[in-house]
Amino acid sequence: VTQARRAEDLLRELTPQVLGVLVRRHGQLDVCEDAVQEALLEAWVEWDKRGVPEHPRGWLLTVATRRLIDRVRRDAARRQREDRLLMGAPPAEVARASGDGGGIDRDDSLILLYMCCHPALSPSSQITLTLRAVGGLSTREIAAAFFVPEATMGQRIARAKQRIREAGAVFSMPPPEELDDRTRAVHHVLYLIFNAGYASSSGADVNQAELTSEAIRLTREVHRLRPDASETKGLLALMLLTEARRPARTTSAGDVVPLAEQDRSLWDTDLIREGVSLVSAALSQGPLGSYQLQAAIAAVHDEADHVADTDWPQVLALYEMLDRVSPNPMATLNRAIAVAMVHGPPAGLALLATVEHDQRVAEHHLLYAVRGHLLDMAGSSAAAGEAFETAARRTASLPEKRYLHKRASQILAQPP
Amino acid sequence: MKYMVIIYGNKDLWQSFPPDVAGQAIAEVDAFNKRHVESAELLAAYGLGDELTARTVRVRDGVPAVTDGPYLEAKEFVSSLFILDCENEARALEIAAEYPFAAFNAVEVWPVLHDAGTEM
Repeated sequence: VTQARRAEDLLRELTPQVLGVLVRRHGQLDVCEDAVQEALLEAWVEWDKRGVPEHPRGWLLTVATRRLIDRVRRDAARRQREDRLLMGAPPAEVARASGDGGGIDRDDSLILLYMCCHPALSPSSQITLTLRAVGGLSTREIAAAFFVPEATMGQRIARAKQRIREAGAVFSMPPPEELDDRTRAVHHVLYLIFNAGYASSSGADVNQAELTSEAIRLTREVHRLRPDASETKGLLALMLLTEARRPARTTSAGDVVPLAEQDRSLWDTDLIREGVSLVSAALSQGPLGSYQLQAAIAAVHDEADHVADTDWPQVLALYEMLDRVSPNPMATLNRAIAVAMVHGPPAGLALLATVEHDQRVAEHHLLYAVRGHLLDMAGSSAAAGEAFETAARRTASLPEKRYLHKRASQILAQPP
Repeated sequence: MKYMVIIYGNKDLWQSFPPDVAGQAIAEVDAFNKRHVESAELLAAYGLGDELTARTVRVRDGVPAVTDGPYLEAKEFVSSLFILDCENEARALEIAAEYPFAAFNAVEVWPVLHDAGTEM
């Protein structure tokens, strides 16, 4: 098991490096990606039989290059031009030139990630392509994680690659004037992958839990390649500080345990320490960004040994900064809880009233969940129960629905 | 986000179509299915048997009892259903509106619950 696990980790780590070398030489993401997938399958079989080779990266690059040449040869009659380009270097030479453990692959992985998060793609295509081309996940694994048939996922990957080709994406970093926007898109995709995996950790959801560790792994890689980017630090910190609470956030039956009721002794102190240190470094370095602020809020929660020790004025101050950096009614919902903890439930409810007609949240279950929470704090049981019931009916998340129903029935069962 | 889209109808409705209209609608449904399988948004599409062939199962005191016909007294029955997986609700509604029988009767769009959730 350990050996297979090591091989799997290694293959995932090597995938973007090898793909990067191929795309840099050949220029076509779609064909190169297919070749790398074939090489990954061969590696699975070969390494399982004979063990991990001495130079795994060179091995994978050599096989992927051969597969690429096979593919190009197959199309040679139609596309002689590409054939000429590629035949210049025999595979062994390609493999030697890029060596094992050399530094030249670093930017390749990053360029590949920017390519997969190309603005011509929809967010779900960006996620899919990133998991496959940068993450090295198979179509089957990605399909399982998103509960769609493998054929559908295969189709999505093919379409995403076709769109990249049509958009004329080239293998290079985005030009300086686009870099900020493109980096934001990359962060957003990593954040979405993390969130997609951020589910109950029991039973059938194991595939989704893997998305969370994959998002953390990829974000670590981006952070390693661009250690000076404060928002990447903030994003990684946010993921670690959230992941740290995973063991406490669901019961063994898969029920959601809210932050205030979690057994904090189950929290992962190593992840918290690393997350706190990253977010502190990011905040002192600047420029400020929304992931850093969300991470800072998560850090304040994670550093409280008991829920009663939570530094709510600090949480509130951070939410107010977040509101200035990136105004967003969803963040206002969370800020209303902090306002209620510092200034009392009526003040929190008054803040909620300012966004309840905002179309972006007016029908969102979290508006009703927060209102229910604040009404319950204020002692208005009947109204609180009703708000939680509405929230339960509006959410599309099964664990949330169960939790919100439970809150509603507990509150309504209390004697008035 | 996944959605289940349900198409309702009954014998009177299906029989009210002249053969050429029915034939064209079926061809349009085939084209619809093909188009959205290719866009990787249609996960599955099923036509259902007539309500005469539907059965209802009830277990009482541990004993299953099977009766003919659908559970609910209704004038219209589920005739087909499909499952979508698309970016958002707006896109699901757009696809539902393309379904040929949306022009004759209504189609229903239901969100399918998922397992991911925010921490509360």
